[in-house]
Amino acid sequence: MRTPQVARRSFKRQLVTAAALVTVATMALAGCSSASEDGGGSVTANAEDVQLVEGVRSLSNSYHANWVAGGQLFADSVDKKLDVITDEADSQKQLSQIKALAGSGNVYALNVDPNTSADTEAIVRAVTDAGGYVVTQWNKPDDLNPWDIGDHWVAHVSFDGRVSGKEVSAKLFDAMAGEGGIIALQGILDNVASKQRFEGLTNALADAPGITLLDQQTANWSRSEALTVTQTLLAKHGASVKGIWAANDEMALGALEALKAAGLDGEIPIVGFDAVPQALDEIKSGTSGYVASVSTDAFWQGGAALSLAYMAASGAIKVSDLTHEQRAFYGTQIVVTGDNVDDFITPPTLDKLQADFDDPWKRSQGGIN
Amino acid sequence: MTTTSTTIGESVTTTRSALLKKFIVGAGPLVALVALVLFFAIASPTFSQPGNLSILLTQLSILLVIGVGLTFVILLGSIDLSVEGVMASSSLVFVLFATNDRNDFQFGLLAVVAGILTGSLFGLVNGVLHVRLGIPSFMVTLGTGAIGIGLATVLFGGRAPRLLDDGLRAWGVGSTAGLSNLVFIAIVVLGLGFFVQRFTRVGRYGYVIGGDEPIAKLSGINIRKYKISSFVLSGTASGIAGVMAATQLGVGDTTIGTGFLFTAITAVVLGGTLLVGGRGGVIRTLIGVAIITVLANGLILVGVDPYIQTAVQGLVIVVAVIASGWSLRRRVRVIK
Repeated sequence: MRTPQVARRSFKRQLVTAAALVTVATMALAGCSSASEDGGGSVTANAEDVQLVEGVRSLSNSYHANWVAGGQLFADSVDKKLDVITDEADSQKQLSQIKALAGSGNVYALNVDPNTSADTEAIVRAVTDAGGYVVTQWNKPDDLNPWDIGDHWVAHVSFDGRVSGKEVSAKLFDAMAGEGGIIALQGILDNVASKQRFEGLTNALADAPGITLLDQQTANWSRSEALTVTQTLLAKHGASVKGIWAANDEMALGALEALKAAGLDGEIPIVGFDAVPQALDEIKSGTSGYVASVSTDAFWQGGAALSLAYMAASGAIKVSDLTHEQRAFYGTQIVVTGDNVDDFITPPTLDKLQADFDDPWKRSQGGIN
Repeated sequence: MTTTSTTIGESVTTTRSALLKKFIVGAGPLVALVALVLFFAIASPTFSQPGNLSILLTQLSILLVIGVGLTFVILLGSIDLSVEGVMASSSLVFVLFATNDRNDFQFGLLAVVAGILTGSLFGLVNGVLHVRLGIPSFMVTLGTGAIGIGLATVLFGGRAPRLLDDGLRAWGVGSTAGLSNLVFIAIVVLGLGFFVQRFTRVGRYGYVIGGDEPIAKLSGINIRKYKISSFVLSGTASGIAGVMAATQLGVGDTTIGTGFLFTAITAVVLGGTLLVGGRGGVIRTLIGVAIITVLANGLILVGVDPYIQTAVQGLVIVVAVIASGWSLRRRVRVIK
């Protein structure tokens, strides 16, 4: 007959064995019942149940604030709520926020600006595992494409910075009458946009023998950093600086402040990218030397790309039927100068963008190569 | 003949060599600064020109103001991580009350006061939460910093409100006697900070509390009051820095303080103020701030590749901290 101690131990062992079996069984069942699959047979939801989400860096810059406003226009047009996640330039935060979306149990349509190219793969895999649908913009590794991952990564939208970089640089050189030295302020060196725009500048320089690139520094997309860097560069190169090129408007505006502090505003032309409201005002005023910027139409980016994700999530389009060119494409960029700045100063209304929401590829400039 | 006297926290042997050693350790940051200045003056002809010196002083103004405030908190052995959030909030409060392109307020100098008081308020919250509820300063200030950014984002409303008051803009953009007005503001703040540190109870008791808190408590000092005051000083300094940055950039912006926090902490530590508290001061912070500014400025002037600038800055800072803290390396304590 078993003693009480032996009986207790053996009971405990039985309990542990039973618990282990239950755990294994549960995990097996969970694995079988997972809703997400690659290739054909992706789960979509009814249009009413799809959750709309925008993922941007921060609402504290006008570019992303306009992006979200565009997304809101689209959400209003389909009568749904819009959720916004901001990562404050923290890749880990962005990924964990996106993973947390799975907790709601809904199929979601996500339009996201990945913090860096290295983050894109983790993001799209997390979305695929959760059964959501994502459109990414700007940053992705060159050798990774939506069709490599499956139907849940609907598309990637980018803008050929080389094209706009070259165009806007040409405007700067025109304002300098083709002669003189320039300084260049780069964005975060790892960003696709930063690299491409600088490449555009380099290409434009090849066509403009009278212009020399005196110096290039990074100001990490930041206005205050650009101010400090520009001050130092102005001290370094003095009167040889005849023009300033910045990879975005925030930095260009910081450089403008450095010029004001040195008493040089209005004398040295500046160009930027993003067409934020303050840059547009400076271009319009014509007195500060701000010559041109580039608009990718943040409102379009926020709205039309979200519309594309939503169409996939609600089954209105079948992702596996899309061509490669439809799943990785360049959008349209417009160089904004004093001549056309008025078109961009007022934010667009829904009727201006409805056609783009109905056909997100309307502004496609071709596939990303 | 040697005499030994004991003061709170350390024993001092007054032989010549011991005094010399103490001087070297204490002067480490100053030596590092002089070495850097000499190096860049030789390596780049532009470095020592009056134009660049003026720019150096401008570039260190805002950092110095933040550093002065932080010094008081770090002397306690605590830390204030809310700098960036406070700068963001105070810059927006300031711009929205002054003449701007968003609303019709035109409070001028009162707007400056409002911006600074925003910082003081955050400091007060930090101090009270830390002292009364016993939450470590690390966590409290992290939280209030996030609140500051959040408040700033709400006030920001999608685009940066621009400061249109020319008189106030001149603080940031204009210059007097060849030096930016910001430099004069920083000098005033430094002077006030030194005065508080040397001649008021808040400053002097801060050293005691940071050096050995149990003994301070046993001596009957009202620790709570002085701790809270130090946090208020730090918050006020961040508020002033936010206003200065707003006049310089011409906008109120949530990202106006980005990068200043860790740079300022590094500057304070580089200057020789111990993170565990009890030793240091605002003059030391001035040296630390100068080292960092000279380094950043000099690397650009010398033409170091932007891809490796940050790495070089980090390396120099590590070396400088090790060199200054070499004799203290056995004391390992946690930030309170």
